[in-house]
Amino acid sequence: MSVSGHLILCVDDEKVGLQVRRLLLERSGYRVLTAPDGPTGLKVFEDNPVEAVVLDYAMPGMHGGEVAAMMRQIKPEVPILLLSAYLGLPPEITQLVNVYMTKGEGAPALLDKLSSMFPDSKSTA
Amino acid sequence: MNLSKLNRILLQTLLLPVVALMVVSGVLVWQILSAKATVAQIQLADNNIATANYLSALIADQEAGIRGYQNTANEIFLQPYDFAVAPIQGSFARLHEGIAAQHGDTSQLDSLMAAHRRWVNTIAEPMIVMVRSGADTRDPGLNLRGKAYMDNVRGALASIVASQKYQRTLFVDHWQQQLRDTLIGIVVFALLTGLLIGLFARSRLHAVSGAFQDSLIKLRNNAQSTFENEQRLRAILAAIGDAVIVCDPRGSIELVNPVAQDLCGLNQESATGRNVGDVFRLLDENTHDPIPTPFEQVRDQRRLIGPSSHALLVRHDGTELHVDTSGAPIYDLNGDLAGIVLVFRNVSEQRRTQAALLASEKLAVAGRLAATIAHEIHNPLDAVVNIIYLLRQGSTPEEAAQFLEMAASELDRVTQISRAMLGMYRESRTPVAVDLEEVLSSVLLLLERRISDQQVTVNVTYAPGSVVTGFPAELRQVFTNLLTNALDVSATGSVIDVRTRPYSLRGGPAGFEVTVKDQGTGITLEDMAQLFQPFFTTKGEQGTGLGLWVSQGIVHKHGGSIHIDTNVTTEHHGTTIAVFLPFGAAVLPSEHGSGI
Repeated sequence: MSVSGHLILCVDDEKVGLQVRRLLLERSGYRVLTAPDGPTGLKVFEDNPVEAVVLDYAMPGMHGGEVAAMMRQIKPEVPILLLSAYLGLPPEITQLVNVYMTKGEGAPALLDKLSSMFPDSKSTA
Repeated sequence: MNLSKLNRILLQTLLLPVVALMVVSGVLVWQILSAKATVAQIQLADNNIATANYLSALIADQEAGIRGYQNTANEIFLQPYDFAVAPIQGSFARLHEGIAAQHGDTSQLDSLMAAHRRWVNTIAEPMIVMVRSGADTRDPGLNLRGKAYMDNVRGALASIVASQKYQRTLFVDHWQQQLRDTLIGIVVFALLTGLLIGLFARSRLHAVSGAFQDSLIKLRNNAQSTFENEQRLRAILAAIGDAVIVCDPRGSIELVNPVAQDLCGLNQESATGRNVGDVFRLLDENTHDPIPTPFEQVRDQRRLIGPSSHALLVRHDGTELHVDTSGAPIYDLNGDLAGIVLVFRNVSEQRRTQAALLASEKLAVAGRLAATIAHEIHNPLDAVVNIIYLLRQGSTPEEAAQFLEMAASELDRVTQISRAMLGMYRESRTPVAVDLEEVLSSVLLLLERRISDQQVTVNVTYAPGSVVTGFPAELRQVFTNLLTNALDVSATGSVIDVRTRPYSLRGGPAGFEVTVKDQGTGITLEDMAQLFQPFFTTKGEQGTGLGLWVSQGIVHKHGGSIHIDTNVTTEHHGTTIAVFLPFGAAVLPSEHGSGI
């Protein structure tokens, strides 16, 4: 398990899901910041040296696609992983992000895809 | 020409010869009377002639008596002379009367009488005296004078006879002339009258014959147009797609068109004369109880009935068909019921199509919810999968307890969603008590994600005890439809108001009304008219156009009604859909809970 200590921002309106995801990532050695919605997420993203974003798609007010587009404008270099409970998101949204996956694929898949976004540290997760 | 005119003509034709005959009779009577006068004149002349002849004989007797007495001086020979004196006077008088009656000239008679008197006075009487005195009577002068006087008498008498004979001849001629005139008159009159009668009768008969001809032509035209009309109606009846049965007011069948023959399963011959109730039996679609046919309704109510549906026609072979029926009375000229027409249509195919549409719409509703549901299931699933991963990695007992608690609550959510989803399908066969609050809550649960995504606020106000009788899954479908429609038109930040309240239609059953009020743009008047038509949608490719149609069908099936109130003004735009559902039979609060 990598203990690279990368700073990850998790944005999701599902409280339990977000809490569990945070624990999962922290156990894997990441440092984790969370936000319950898009606008908060953008603020945290702007204020902290976030190295990667795990973003939920379906959120009230501002969906993941919109959040990703704004993040790309602020810090285009930060990789984004888009999580969605919906299947088959439109390509113009999936093209915005580095990785797109559906919820429920399991923790190993998430960790694997997340670590793959950091070229410097080939994770063993 | 009517009957009274015809009678008048016939009377005229009959009376005219009678009148003509009466005129002829009158003329004849007049002619006979005048002929009778002529005959009397003739008889008068005959009498005068006879009298004159008698007179002539008497005078001859006197002359003979005088001559005998002159020769014999015997008084006996004087007798004829004496005997003739009185008759001669009488004859003179009769002759005078006869000539006077003829208005004739009596001068001849007067000269006869004078001549006779002169003979008597100057010849006969002196002769008698001379004989009695014994004087010589052979004086030739006296005798010659006597002869001359007597000749005068004879001449006068002869001229009277001749005159009377002439008179007689004249009257006979006159009588014959009268006879001829009468004959000619009668013949001419008969000819003229005959001609007149002929002409009159001809003109009258012509009028009658013309009228008769007209009547015949009219009759023929009527028959022709009746025939054509009948043919036309028969062709129409044979060609139309609806089944038609015509029967008399007692229900005896007169006509069954081909479609009706096909639907009822019999032919015209076997149906004619049968009672319509034997051929056309209807059952209630739902209860299978016999229901009154339009024939009975029209017969009892004397008005147009239908079209009405929800009936099953029992065919001749016992099979059943869904039919729409209607009936209409046929009136005669007096306004009495002359017959009844039943029109019906096989809607079985339509029912199957509707059923297919309903099923597909049900699936479409589910399809539209599928994305939301997938989301609602995937979120808790993701959390649970991650929790299991963490537990496998190893945790403190405190952590593990917390993880299990979280996993359990997430799974609860999945269960709720799945139940709400199942509620859309699991359907009871008979109506049950349905708690509207429960139904609305579960529909809102399924739509929760969408509502929050759209940032729409849903305000709910439930009246207590909002239980009605119905089919819960179908009502779920209705409210899912209404709420998704409301969400479709709701802008971010707008409000949807959902409420239930006790309500009763004026004069109708009591129940509950559910209103769903959105703040969308409202519905145009044009769209309002078509809102409940199948396949009408304002959502383009996104809509099937079946939602409201199906919803209305379901609500009607529950004995309820849907009412839409909309506003398109910029300040207060929005639409309120009100669904009224009657309590129905099975409203027992203890029984509800059939929903999720």
